[in-house]
Amino acid sequence: MTATGKYLRIALGVAVIAALIIVPMNFNRYGLYILSQWAVMTIAAMGLNLTLGYAGQVSLAQGAFVGIGAYAAAIMTTQGMPLVAALAVAIVLCFAIGWILGYPALRVQHHYLAFVTLAFSTLAFLIFRNEDWLTKGIYGISNIPRPNVLGFATNRPLPFYYFCLGSLGIVSLAMWWLIRSPWGRAFVALRENPVRALSLGIDTRRYTLMAFAIGSALGGVAGTLYAPLTQYIDPVPFNLSLSLDLLMMVIVGGSGFFFGPFLGAMIAVLLPEWLRFTQGYYLMLYAVAVILLLIYSPTGILGILDRYLAERRTKAASALRAVAKSRLETAP
Amino acid sequence: MRSGIFAGLLLATVSATAAFAQGAPIKLANVAELSGGGATVGNNWKNGIDLAIEEVNAKGGLLGRKLEVTHADSQSNPGVARAQVQKALDNEPYVLLGPGYSGSVKVTSPLAAEAGIAQIMGGEAAELTQGGNKFLFRTSFGQQSSMPKVAKYINDELKAKSVAIVWVNNDFGKGGRDVITKEFAKYNIKVAADISTEAGQADFAADVSKIKAAAPDVVFVYVNEEESARMLKELKRQAITVPLVGETTLVGQKVVELAGDAANGARGHVGLTTDAPVDLVKAFREKFVKKYNYVPDHNGLKGYLAIYMIKATTEKMGKVDSKAFADNLHGLTIKAASEPGILMDVTFDEKGDIDRQGFLVEIVEGKQVVKQVLPKLN
Repeated sequence: MTATGKYLRIALGVAVIAALIIVPMNFNRYGLYILSQWAVMTIAAMGLNLTLGYAGQVSLAQGAFVGIGAYAAAIMTTQGMPLVAALAVAIVLCFAIGWILGYPALRVQHHYLAFVTLAFSTLAFLIFRNEDWLTKGIYGISNIPRPNVLGFATNRPLPFYYFCLGSLGIVSLAMWWLIRSPWGRAFVALRENPVRALSLGIDTRRYTLMAFAIGSALGGVAGTLYAPLTQYIDPVPFNLSLSLDLLMMVIVGGSGFFFGPFLGAMIAVLLPEWLRFTQGYYLMLYAVAVILLLIYSPTGILGILDRYLAERRTKAASALRAVAKSRLETAP
Repeated sequence: MRSGIFAGLLLATVSATAAFAQGAPIKLANVAELSGGGATVGNNWKNGIDLAIEEVNAKGGLLGRKLEVTHADSQSNPGVARAQVQKALDNEPYVLLGPGYSGSVKVTSPLAAEAGIAQIMGGEAAELTQGGNKFLFRTSFGQQSSMPKVAKYINDELKAKSVAIVWVNNDFGKGGRDVITKEFAKYNIKVAADISTEAGQADFAADVSKIKAAAPDVVFVYVNEEESARMLKELKRQAITVPLVGETTLVGQKVVELAGDAANGARGHVGLTTDAPVDLVKAFREKFVKKYNYVPDHNGLKGYLAIYMIKATTEKMGKVDSKAFADNLHGLTIKAASEPGILMDVTFDEKGDIDRQGFLVEIVEGKQVVKQVLPKLN
């Protein structure tokens, strides 16, 4: 990559971050709510992107992990405990459950694995709904407080949005570091060719479990933000459709691309809202848009960009080759 | 380019000024379950609203101003409902309508209260109106007022000593089951079987076997219409002959159509039904069927009534004042004689609960027959 290209990318990144901070200052409560929702869903999708995009394990349980995180936050903060404690519990719990759920992934792959995680998703939903003593069942938990962060109350929509955005920032940095660490390389090796990874001395068993556990823990993090965002939770939002939604976000954005979940969550959260002016048709149009996108580019939005860049590189390379060849031919 | 912007600004200013002038439409916002699990509820509610608004506008509007409503879809998801209500409130509607699911009402009612805008909703869970929210109004009986009537009937008329409860495991079914279980305890009626079922469940054979094993004096069925019909068929198939008692969802026209003969003998308490022996309700039903080509359930009636609640309250105030609206609806009695759109006399109490006449009905040869009219309390 050239130096200018690098600076351009940094400049673009800074501009996007600045826009995410400054532009919403004038937004109404609805706009801020939707943007906060985008940040929360992006975190959950990033977790799934790690499991699916980098380590290649199909999971239909990410929505359940968001639910576990949300219930941890709701139950603990309504009892007067701080959200940080709930966050810790959610991360540990989701990590542990994700680790255990990863065991079938050692034996089954692809759609068989999807079925195992689907069963877990249903199980989690039934626990949320039927264990009244803990989750208040179908009535749900209301009046979930929003946290004080470093002494600032986040009750108003704008501070809470910044809280979600800040959390997204921290998670993104951690993820950025993770996928560039030896772990991240090992995850990709696992996806591309497990046998070769094993022969290279990568403990595929441990890394498979790890990919599942970390991805699930991020689902839990998203959940602990979701509960104070809506301030009321019941089991319904955490059923299978959320897991499918998150899966779609990852695939539509571009599975295995770092920025895939950001774009995917944007499509899944914002596109239906933009299409609402079409009244009864908005969900249909949304579905059609997603289908068309995946027909055009099965690797998602970032897949289009990737294809374009690859083509440009190929063109540049063949141009260079042609020049070199003509030089050779014209050489005396 | 610049002149274009100026023209646009000018136009915006002019139209904004016009909006404040007398005769500008009154904006209402509806947030309901137009897709997802509650789509039947939400679409009936929406159609009821549209029908009523069309009527009001055709007769010259409200205090000379047209009514206008925006519909937003909550996807039957409380999180989405919250976003849509937020959006609706940002546009400062006169009154907020919906949602229908109790969970979605719970998550949105604090927002409406904070904005000081009255919310007329379809939720029936008992607790909704018990939290001291001054801006929330029901359109139908809450379970805390309908269930005691059912329990009393089972005790006084049917003299039951034990009962099997079949309920659908969502906030509607669970809410009703919890309230009636407490009522049964008051009468020392034993709950012989407590059976939870799923929304959309197709096969009730196992559940009915459990009922048969428990041998109760009465079966109380509290599931949605389609499931009620399947349940009734299975009860008939397994030859259970004890009285079957329920609520609106057990004895509605739709259940009769789906269950056929199996519906005969089912009885229940009905607050709002298009089968009510009231001329105005019959007329409503005809209008609705003419416009939409299907018979509405009680949610269609609720949406329709919501608009006439707004009309009656506003006419009482003599002005369109969103801040004073809730205060004026509390304690208001609306008589069908003076406001035919309200269909039956109704009174709103300080909590936003309603008082209206109800019916005890039984299905006889495929027809709903009113056995008893339960009068309005005050």
